[in-house]
Amino acid sequence: MRTAGWPAAVVAGLALACGASPPAAAQAPGTNVPDAVTRLSGLRLEPMSRPAQTYATNCQGCHGELGRSVREIPPLAGRVGYFARVPAGRRYLVQVPNVALNPSSDADIAAVLNWLLRTYSRAELPADFEPYTAAEVAELRQARIDVNATRASVVDELVAAKQVPSRDTLALAQTPLY
Amino acid sequence: MKPISKTPFDRVFERITRKSAQRTSRRSFLAQCGLWLVAASTLPVLPVARRAQAAEPHAKGKPAGKFASEFANRAQTKDPTQCNYWRYCSSDGYLCACCGGGPSTCPPGTSPSPTSWIGSCINPDDGKTYLIAYRDCCGQDSCGKCACLGQEGDMPSYRPQVNNDIIWCFGASSMVYHCSSAGLVGLAE
Repeated sequence: MRTAGWPAAVVAGLALACGASPPAAAQAPGTNVPDAVTRLSGLRLEPMSRPAQTYATNCQGCHGELGRSVREIPPLAGRVGYFARVPAGRRYLVQVPNVALNPSSDADIAAVLNWLLRTYSRAELPADFEPYTAAEVAELRQARIDVNATRASVVDELVAAKQVPSRDTLALAQTPLY
Repeated sequence: MKPISKTPFDRVFERITRKSAQRTSRRSFLAQCGLWLVAASTLPVLPVARRAQAAEPHAKGKPAGKFASEFANRAQTKDPTQCNYWRYCSSDGYLCACCGGGPSTCPPGTSPSPTSWIGSCINPDDGKTYLIAYRDCCGQDSCGKCACLGQEGDMPSYRPQVNNDIIWCFGASSMVYHCSSAGLVGLAE
C-alpha cells in the first residue's frame, strides 16, 4: 500500500512543481477524442486558451511544451522573464525575428508573450511587469534588429544592473561545428 | 467499285467511308460536325448528377463540403494506416502506423525527435479542431511505406518553422529520418 502510494505522491508533487503545463488551463470541460485509436485509452483533452494555442502552433515545436527543449534551442522556462527587467530586453522579446516576423496578429503576439512570460518564467518577471499591448507590439515589431548583437547588449545591461544571477544564466548553447 | 484495301477489316471501313462520301453533302457534313461539337461542349455543363464522382461522403452520410478543410471532408477516424486518417492533414512522410509503430508512437529501434512540427486538424466525427504534433521518428533508414503528403498549413521552405518537408529530427540522437507520427497535443477552442 505504502509503496504504491509513493509514486503517486511524487507524481502529484512534480505536477504541482511544473504546474505550467499549458493544457492544464481549462476553461471548459474536457472532451473525449472520437478516434478509434484513443477510444480505449479514455484520453480526454482540455480546450486550450488562445495564447496557449498560439504558442503551440508557433513556438512549441522547438521551445517545447514546458518551455524547454534540446540544448540548441534557448530555454524559456525559468529564464525568459529576466529579459523583461530592462526596457531593451522587453523590446528584444518582440523584435527577435521569429516573434517579429511571425504571421500572428499584434494582439495574438502580445497575448502569447504575456502568457508565456507568466507561465514559464513568472519568478523571473519584475514585480511591476506591465503586460504587452497590441499597440506596443505593432510598433516594436517594425524594427529589424541584428539579433546576436542586440541580445549580447541586453545581456550586458542585465549583468551590469545585477538583474541576473550571473552571465551564464542567459548563456546560449554553443552549436557544435559539424 | 473494287476496294483498294487488302485486309477485310480495312475493306469494311473503306466501304463505309466511300458510302458516306457519296451520300452525304459537304454542307450536311459540316452541319453534323458543328452539332457534335456544340453537343460535346454543352452536355457536360448540363446539370447532371455527379454525386457518384464526388469525394466519398464519410460514414454518417454527411454532405461533402461540411468543413472548411478539404482534408477533413474526406477524413476518417478508424484506420491510422490510411493517408486520410484525420490526424494526417499536415503529415508529410511515411506513416509510422505502417512502419511498426502507431499514429503517435515510434516503431521499435527509432526514437521520437524532441522537436516537432505542430499543426491543427479537424476531427470529422465531432467537428472540433485538435492540435497535432508531427514528430519524426529518427535513427533508422526511411521506412518507405505509406507515403502521405498532407499540406494543410504547410508553407514554403523560406518559412522553415512551418515547412513540413524539412526533417524534424533536430535534437534526436540521429538525423536519419524513418517515419512521421501524429500525436495529439490539445483541443483548440
